[in-house]
Amino acid sequence: MSKKKVIKKILLVVLVLVVIGGAYGAWMYFQPHRDVQDTETDYSLKASDIVQEYLTDNQAANEKYLAADGESKVLEIKGQVSEVSEDYEGNTVVLLKSDSAKAGVKAFFTQETSGEAKQVQVGSTITIKGVIRSGAAYDEDLEMYEDVVVEKSKVIKK
Amino acid sequence: MKNLKVLSIALVAVLGLFAFTTVADKLVSSKTHIKFFSTTPAEDIEANNYAAVSTIDKSTGKFVFSVPMQGFEFPKSLMQKHFNQKKFLHTSKYPKAKYVGDIKNLSDIDFSSDGTYTANVDGEMTIRGVTKKVTEDATIKVSGGKVSLETKFFITLADYDIEFERGKPSKNIADKVEVTAKAEYK
Repeated sequence: MSKKKVIKKILLVVLVLVVIGGAYGAWMYFQPHRDVQDTETDYSLKASDIVQEYLTDNQAANEKYLAADGESKVLEIKGQVSEVSEDYEGNTVVLLKSDSAKAGVKAFFTQETSGEAKQVQVGSTITIKGVIRSGAAYDEDLEMYEDVVVEKSKVIKK
Repeated sequence: MKNLKVLSIALVAVLGLFAFTTVADKLVSSKTHIKFFSTTPAEDIEANNYAAVSTIDKSTGKFVFSVPMQGFEFPKSLMQKHFNQKKFLHTSKYPKAKYVGDIKNLSDIDFSSDGTYTANVDGEMTIRGVTKKVTEDATIKVSGGKVSLETKFFITLADYDIEFERGKPSKNIADKVEVTAKAEYK
């Protein structure tokens, strides 16, 4: 092979690598958010159970449910509707909590799922699916119990 | 005997009144919005969080914000992953950030009268397990008995041991990020 041909070949390989690298970079950069509702459920549990788990051992529960990259466990949670409200964006928030419980599960709905969630009856038992963001704990500065926060929720059983 | 009965009823009534005042003194908000904004020549990055809880104690001036860090939503999935990871906010280990402050000029704020007040808040911010002093001004609005709050301040990331020596995010994230917090209380 002549020197020229070798250089040509090397340049071609470099070009291919640059294109692949660029495409990979762009794919990483523009990759869409995970669709929580399309993601398989990691755990199905009662609102009272996950609250209890957090109040018993906060650290162990965080290790079980929270992921390092923020794509934490997808949960199906069954509980009694204690309150239906709205977040700052106008989306529906449903608190699943029994009357005697110290804390509950606060489910935040999306623009698409809020309409249906708004219709749930206080006192009824429903099941929602969503991604966990944080656990329940007593906060001594707030002087109250904080609920488990679940976002991207959808009502899956009424 | 009758006196005792009257006395116990009075006692219960007084205690009940006390219990009521304590509850009424504390404003609680779970209707909040926190925005994180970073601007560099490379790009502007904005993230939003609607899941924080805040309280204001009207009698002591204690002001608290508790923020579930994984609730920050970025326009791009990759940014959100960077934000959460160990090198940056390490949210799996430190799921919450907290601000605890004192309203220094509490007497200037009349929670029972409509108006817009400026609260000088002196307090401490804990992010990623690191606590720093943050002094800020917050605007408290009372309208028809409803109390709302808005504040904007800057956070220096290096203060909380958040640093990027190398790699992409160092060029793309500002050293100081602007934080806007809003809350409507009940």
